Amino acid sequence: MTAILVKAVSDLKRRRLPAVVIFITTLLAVGTGTMALTLLSQTHDPYQSAFEAQRGAHLQVAFDSRTDPQAIAGTAQLLGTTASGGPYSATSLEFQAGSRKFSMDTFGRDDPGGLVEQLRLSSGRWPSSNDEIALTRSFSELNNIPIGEKLKVVSVPQEPVLTVVAQVVDIDEGSADLSSQHAWMLSSAIPAVTGKNSAFYLMTYRFATDPSSAQLHADVDRLRATLPPGSVTGSVNYILIRNVFNITNQIVTSVLIAFSVFALLATAAIAANLVTGIVISAYREIGIMKAVGFTPRQVVTVFELQILIPAGAACLVGIPTGTLASQPLLANSSHALGLAYTPSFSFPLDLVALGSALLIVALAALLPALRAGLLKPAVVIANASAPRGRSGRGLRRFAAHVRLPRPIVLGIGDAFARPTRAILTLVAILLGVATITVALGLPRSFTAINNSETHAGNVDVVVRKSPALADADALAIINAQPETARVVAETGDNFTVPGIGDPVNARIFRGDSSHLGYMLVAGRWFSGPGEVLAPKALLQDAHLWIGDHFTASVHGSAVPLVVVGEIYDIDNLGLSLFMDWGTLSPVEADVTPDAYLITLAPGASVDAYVRHVAAAQPDLLDVQPNNTSIIGPVKIIDTVLLILAIVIALIGVAGIFNTLLLNTRERVRDTATLKAVGMSPRQVTAMVAASAGLIALVGGIIAVPAGVGLHRYLLDLISVSAGNDTPPAAYAVFGPLELVAIPVIGVLVAVAAALIPGRWAARTNVVEVLHAE
Amino acid sequence: MTELVRLTDVTKVYQGGITGALSSVSLSIEQGEFTAVMGPSGSGKSTLLNLIAGLDRPTSGDVVVGGTDLGALDEAGLARFRRDHVGFVFQFFHLLPNLTALENVLIPAQLKGRENADSRGRKLLERLGIADVADRYPARLSGGQQQRVAIARALINNPTLLLADEPTGALDTHSGEQVMELLAQLHRDGQTILLVTHDAKLATRQASRVVSVRDGKIVDDARLESKERATSEVVRVRGEEASR
Repeated sequence: MTAILVKAVSDLKRRRLPAVVIFITTLLAVGTGTMALTLLSQTHDPYQSAFEAQRGAHLQVAFDSRTDPQAIAGTAQLLGTTASGGPYSATSLEFQAGSRKFSMDTFGRDDPGGLVEQLRLSSGRWPSSNDEIALTRSFSELNNIPIGEKLKVVSVPQEPVLTVVAQVVDIDEGSADLSSQHAWMLSSAIPAVTGKNSAFYLMTYRFATDPSSAQLHADVDRLRATLPPGSVTGSVNYILIRNVFNITNQIVTSVLIAFSVFALLATAAIAANLVTGIVISAYREIGIMKAVGFTPRQVVTVFELQILIPAGAACLVGIPTGTLASQPLLANSSHALGLAYTPSFSFPLDLVALGSALLIVALAALLPALRAGLLKPAVVIANASAPRGRSGRGLRRFAAHVRLPRPIVLGIGDAFARPTRAILTLVAILLGVATITVALGLPRSFTAINNSETHAGNVDVVVRKSPALADADALAIINAQPETARVVAETGDNFTVPGIGDPVNARIFRGDSSHLGYMLVAGRWFSGPGEVLAPKALLQDAHLWIGDHFTASVHGSAVPLVVVGEIYDIDNLGLSLFMDWGTLSPVEADVTPDAYLITLAPGASVDAYVRHVAAAQPDLLDVQPNNTSIIGPVKIIDTVLLILAIVIALIGVAGIFNTLLLNTRERVRDTATLKAVGMSPRQVTAMVAASAGLIALVGGIIAVPAGVGLHRYLLDLISVSAGNDTPPAAYAVFGPLELVAIPVIGVLVAVAAALIPGRWAARTNVVEVLHAE
Repeated sequence: MTELVRLTDVTKVYQGGITGALSSVSLSIEQGEFTAVMGPSGSGKSTLLNLIAGLDRPTSGDVVVGGTDLGALDEAGLARFRRDHVGFVFQFFHLLPNLTALENVLIPAQLKGRENADSRGRKLLERLGIADVADRYPARLSGGQQQRVAIARALINNPTLLLADEPTGALDTHSGEQVMELLAQLHRDGQTILLVTHDAKLATRQASRVVSVRDGKIVDDARLESKERATSEVVRVRGEEASR
């Protein structure tokens, strides 16, 4: 064993650069893999821990304000819960903080504790008087509203001022950047801040064991059946909230896993390439090893160790690095859950990462190492290196035929002279270029989706109206502005859809809403009352297709509807409806808009418009430029993608560098001969660069469609996790020129990577090489 | 006669020792000469050849070939010099294994930018008696055929000086004699040739001048007027080598 180790270590010292290439590629692959595994293993448990610690509600149900509170309280027993909270009197509160206005469901609670949905105070104290309010920490941090901030309630004519006295963590709602938020006041304070038609009750239920989604839907159905029609106005369960909490990490984890597999594959290709190259160039040495007594197995071990030693060292660095790199995301998760962040990792999974990485590179190196082990000593001692085939002849002849300079012709021929090596290099390049294509495309798709959800480019100003202000008065102010080009009024309501357990939030528009920029997956925008669009999740759960008729209900009234299109909408993970004002108005006579989406005339100043409208009604209108900024989780995913793209691109570059290194060393005698017959150093460099450029070009040409396909696949994966199909417009984010430019840039990078081995080749000492025969 | 090569006080010391070095060597070779450089292994004869070819640089002294001071040229300049003025024939042929015989022959011309050298390449192969193997790869050629291809490659750019380093060293006797006869024919056609060889008989049979090198110095420089004298000169030198 000593002889094997001595030989392997001495070979490693001699072949430092290939060892460095293996070290770096394994480090990058193992680092991203460990990061994915750590996130995967550590993100589910924190939510579950927090849910148990704060006795989270498995089910929250909103009831119409006309429902008897005693009857609501009795539902806990009806459902067989182990604990319940409420009924809490609640209202949709609109308040102004500084120049900004917000709308928030506010509940009357005298105590943050209780048997269900315990609210954990992260700072401040619970409200003790009717002019105090508690907000979620997530909302406070997102909107920079500190303890002590004064909030003016604008949803009631008295406009009372509330003081923020607490920031709490509520396990039963998602983070503020992904979902609407709750607030709490003393129960005695609620009547004074309740506007017309904004009162409701909330009950929270907790069961002995975690119920399934189907069980919870059945519970809601039982409530509907038991209580008077229209009593249940909304419900949300813990599974949805858990998904909202975990969606960022889920997407990041999926992307990380996909790319760490890529990185490992690329590393395996490089390792196989490297050992093949070493075996080819060390033919005589292998013969000598065997002649002095190395058994075939020992020869194989020597070559395996040359890969396993740097790969093992990379694991020792990469696994802790990957674990550390995952911690900010875990900390982010813990923070959102109100848990104290403690660095966490999974030792067994780290061992899996270590074992997998070593196994993959060992397997990759095995075939070429076996080849070395099986070589006949007498034959290989007589040959300095393995015989070469005639691969590349056709390419060379073609290049010569089109009259390329001879160094380029020779380089092109060399590119595929060793087909296995060329293919393994292509794999590394393919993965690198495909990843870059994905990293380029996904953020653009996210931006396109974000633009559709935020109406970017279609809506300039959003005006939110207090219920205290009449629709006609608000419209009069808006229409009085000469810059107003188009106004779409919007409101929301909860519809009960057959097959869907929880009431579905419907977005209802008045005016020409077809220009709001929503992305359609299929079908068309509604053109009148009764026509609706819905995302995939709703259509799937309700077993609906475009063209299907169904009857929903709102406030106890049946509403016949027909599906005319599938829309992309991530709100409530795809459980929503989009419809015309005329669909709701016959059954809800006093329906009034919550907001007006305003498009300005070309050239109009948004800021000036906002100032003018706000000045016209400073209290009852909240006028803001349309906020089209990308939400935090998407930014995190974009950043992770960018890092991964760089990592895998580096692995691709390392792959081509490795191949050129092997080619250059293997062909040192040919290069010396060429120099002897008059090839200049520049021509030698050009020859090596041409070889690299061709491999990169072929890799790029294959990789771009592969990358586009992968982009589609990942986009679909993400869309599905958000309850949607991907809209065609989200796929179409690559320009034809870009698709051409990507392989061209790949060629340029490969040529740049070729400069170092090219220069080495150019500096070949002819005398030393040719006289070493 | 015009002087083609001039070495003035050339010394070459390799790092780590003096083996194979040259010590204050001066030598002049005239155009049209067939000069054989002889000497024992490690005497410095290949070093001499490499310096003249511009493959290596002297530690001191000047090497001038065809009026060009090789010391004044950079690496690219030396490459151009070799391409334009020198043909080199190696002991182990050093053909590029992935190119056919004809493609190997054409390489120096193509590096020079002469893409239409096919006909000249084929003529050379024909002249050297190997036209029928033009499209074969080196692995399918005999040693003698490979060396003829190497000679054709050396001649493709009409070099002013043909350098041959042990061109028969890797060949059987018959093939070696054929190669030497070929070189003699080239010399008769006016080609200046500088040959390094161990084989005294081959050298004296064809060369008009034999330079003997030992321990990095020229110990004998015999211009042969007849084959008989040449043989005796060579026997003397070989005897001295044997007694060392």
